[in-house]
Amino acid sequence: MFESINDPVDMLTSFVDGRVEPLRFQWRGRVIRVRKITGRWSRRDGQSLLRYFSVEGSGSGTYELCFDPRVPRWILSRAWTE
Amino acid sequence: MQAACKRRMILLIDMDAFFASVEQAHHPHLAGKPVIVCGDPSRRGVVTAASYEVRPFGVAAGMPLQQARRLCPHAEYVEGNPDKYVAVSLQLLDLYQSLSPDVEPFSVDEAFVGLEGRSVTLPSAAAVARSLQREIAERYRLPASIGVGPNKLIAKMAAGSRKPRGLTAMDEQAFRNEFWPREVQKLWGVGPKLATRMRSLGISTVGDLAHAPDPVLKQAFGIIGPQLKDAAWGRDDTPLVPFYQGVDAKSMGHEVTLPEDCSDTGFLEGSLLRLSDQVSRRLRSEGYVSRVVSVKIRNLRFETFIRQRALGEFTDDHALIYRVARGLLEENWKGEPLRLLGVCASGLAKSESAVQHSLFRRFERDACCRQAIDRIRDRLGEVSLVPAGSLTHRRDLSHVPFGTLSSRPLPDHRHADPSP
Repeated sequence: MFESINDPVDMLTSFVDGRVEPLRFQWRGRVIRVRKITGRWSRRDGQSLLRYFSVEGSGSGTYELCFDPRVPRWILSRAWTE
Repeated sequence: MQAACKRRMILLIDMDAFFASVEQAHHPHLAGKPVIVCGDPSRRGVVTAASYEVRPFGVAAGMPLQQARRLCPHAEYVEGNPDKYVAVSLQLLDLYQSLSPDVEPFSVDEAFVGLEGRSVTLPSAAAVARSLQREIAERYRLPASIGVGPNKLIAKMAAGSRKPRGLTAMDEQAFRNEFWPREVQKLWGVGPKLATRMRSLGISTVGDLAHAPDPVLKQAFGIIGPQLKDAAWGRDDTPLVPFYQGVDAKSMGHEVTLPEDCSDTGFLEGSLLRLSDQVSRRLRSEGYVSRVVSVKIRNLRFETFIRQRALGEFTDDHALIYRVARGLLEENWKGEPLRLLGVCASGLAKSESAVQHSLFRRFERDACCRQAIDRIRDRLGEVSLVPAGSLTHRRDLSHVPFGTLSSRPLPDHRHADPSP
């Protein structure tokens, strides 16, 4: 089932051709590798553009991650785990 | 002469179970499973979208979640994310624009695309539609049904005739073959009330409407009578309005299903204030003013009442909208528990043409204050400033759209007066 998380996470990120992409992140002591980005969208909050990604992780879970440029930091907003 | 040879075909792209399909695409483990998109699944609410896998269980959009859980307890209940669906919808519009500049968004999950040129025919437009359908599936992993026809009416009805993943192309004759035997309510633009009136006149099918005498239709339905008859013949000259031309809004409203049935006046007024604030903010951000305010209430028996009041002046002021909305609630609410509240502004006009510059300093001050609030929200986000009256309910109102308020706890002032 889906779980709302909203935890800041440490993230290894790539910046290629002006695009930011999540590569792997640490959550609850585990390092989760991003196997595939399954969706991307953004949301404007005032002048800031928050970038969201839905990803498949190296285990069986899927996750929704948000890059908040104001801090800047990555947030794990939602997770689906067995 | 050359222009006369130009031909136009219209595509209507209708995303199948859009919100649920987006969730299935973004979370591949949900693919092929029954998925119900809703508000917070731990709270009470309604089904926002149901995937095709859940529909055989009788679950449909708009149904209370409790009922959906009884019908399909093993479905995946996913909290909807309007920002995400709007973003995907905009990505799809970009894709459609690569085919043609004539793209008219019809809703968050539907758009008309006009194809024009001397070589455009129904089969060639259908081939474009097939390739577009494939691209949507490959790039976004989303299913779409597409209708193709010489006008918007036929394209729209063709798209609805085969779902999901349908592709239906029709000319006027094929439209008549397909739809004349069907119930008149299947015709786009004929709702349940109109259909009941038609049936009382002996018009049961689309074909009956196509052959109904003009005077009868004119007498019964006025100016729209002949238009309905044209529609029954598959004729429609409604122009396609590309979104860069813009369309004037007719109304703007917000509504919310309350977290639990509620008869607490303070809570309801706080909710009404928050909704009024959202409506007025939207009016201002899109440059409109309104002179009609309506309130929508729904009770436990799902009886829905909408009451409206015309104002003496145009406004985009949340305090005035709230005062009128609260008055309407007081006059029409019998004190029974409510499950839904809504506020809507209609009778819209563009603000620059409608608002007479006030000579009164107080009004100028109010307008300056609103502008300042808007500038702060534009810079820091929608929830950087909210009316104090709705803050007394900040935790309870977190479900209100765009109302993700601070999680910092406040003392409970549930019975405080939520004045704006």
